[in-house]
Amino acid sequence: MKKLAALEALQRHRTDQVVVTSMSVVRPWGRLSTHPLDFASADSAMGHTADFALGIALAQPERRVICLNGDGSMLMTLGTLVTVASARAENFVLIVVNNGTYEITGNQQIPARERLDFVGLARASGFPRALAFEDAEAFDSALADILSEPGPTLVELRVDAEDEGPISRTSGEPAPYLQISLEASARLLREALAG
Amino acid sequence: MSQTDDIFEGLLRLGVTHGVGLPDSVTAPLIARIDEHPAMTWTPVTREGEAFSIASGLWVGGKTPVVIVQNTGVLESGDSLRGVALRMGVPLLCIVTYRGRAKMLAAGWTPTPTTHSDTRPGQTLDRDWLLRPDVDSTALLTEPTLQAWKVPYRIYESPQDLDATWDLAQNQVRPAILLLPKAAPGAVSANGSDQ
Repeated sequence: MKKLAALEALQRHRTDQVVVTSMSVVRPWGRLSTHPLDFASADSAMGHTADFALGIALAQPERRVICLNGDGSMLMTLGTLVTVASARAENFVLIVVNNGTYEITGNQQIPARERLDFVGLARASGFPRALAFEDAEAFDSALADILSEPGPTLVELRVDAEDEGPISRTSGEPAPYLQISLEASARLLREALAG
Repeated sequence: MSQTDDIFEGLLRLGVTHGVGLPDSVTAPLIARIDEHPAMTWTPVTREGEAFSIASGLWVGGKTPVVIVQNTGVLESGDSLRGVALRMGVPLLCIVTYRGRAKMLAAGWTPTPTTHSDTRPGQTLDRDWLLRPDVDSTALLTEPTLQAWKVPYRIYESPQDLDATWDLAQNQVRPAILLLPKAAPGAVSANGSDQ
């Protein structure tokens, strides 16, 4: 599955959910969406997007929070799967975009890429719902339920490795949410959520 | 009132809504109070780095979190503390057990103070100190690390230090740490070291 096809499906179904992006998804999502509740976890800490997004979900239990995490990022903090399940954040959707590589640093392979099963890891960690998709149409068909049924839900999207390069936060980035600092982005999202 | 009572009442007065972290024998009574109080929520983590990211998400979501971990957990949390909480400019109160401080002081090591009026000179933290079996290197490295990371801190001596640490975080718009040096009777840490 092409990453963009999956993101386009998500964009069609997205309404008022917070969307937190990471790594190779940051730029493609920024090309599709300029929603005030978009947040790029870029120029941040490695492997700490899912836990940051969980914090937003715990703060805003009435609002769905979608985290688009990388496979390598997820591997850096696998314990977060247990933390999410323990917190019983029903409004949290954790999407792991699995291309088998550290794409933005040059597509180096992640460990155990042939055997890795994020759905199995999520279920063993206590997630009540965990789903995998290799086809954008199937993902599209399931999204209405994914975004409405109680979670926490883990979705593994098995996508092709592409060639998204390193991300910066500069005026030269095409996505508006990358044209401001991480601090400014955090404050904008805080204001949007308070509004 | 006990130290736990003083700090818990202080957290209530400051409007703290969420606690995030990982307990040890010193902070377990405080965490139990947070977990039992209807106005607060406790979220346990599997590794301390998650706590700083989750707390940052809670703050972005409009809540007032406190992080509660041990000093060895702060050392583990470097990238999360740097890349999320500091980089987003989150005015985050953190309560950290100062494991090993008593033995460190008894052995003759005095960290160079930065935030107290105490002006005793520091010493050279050389290899011999770091390898001494009778001194916990976590304690030796706690204050130098916080100074290097530009994280303001205070050592708890009275309930006023909680408010002073809160003010540090608010005024400097960054995480600030209250170090808890006092041991509960017979207290031991998760790895069996005395406090």
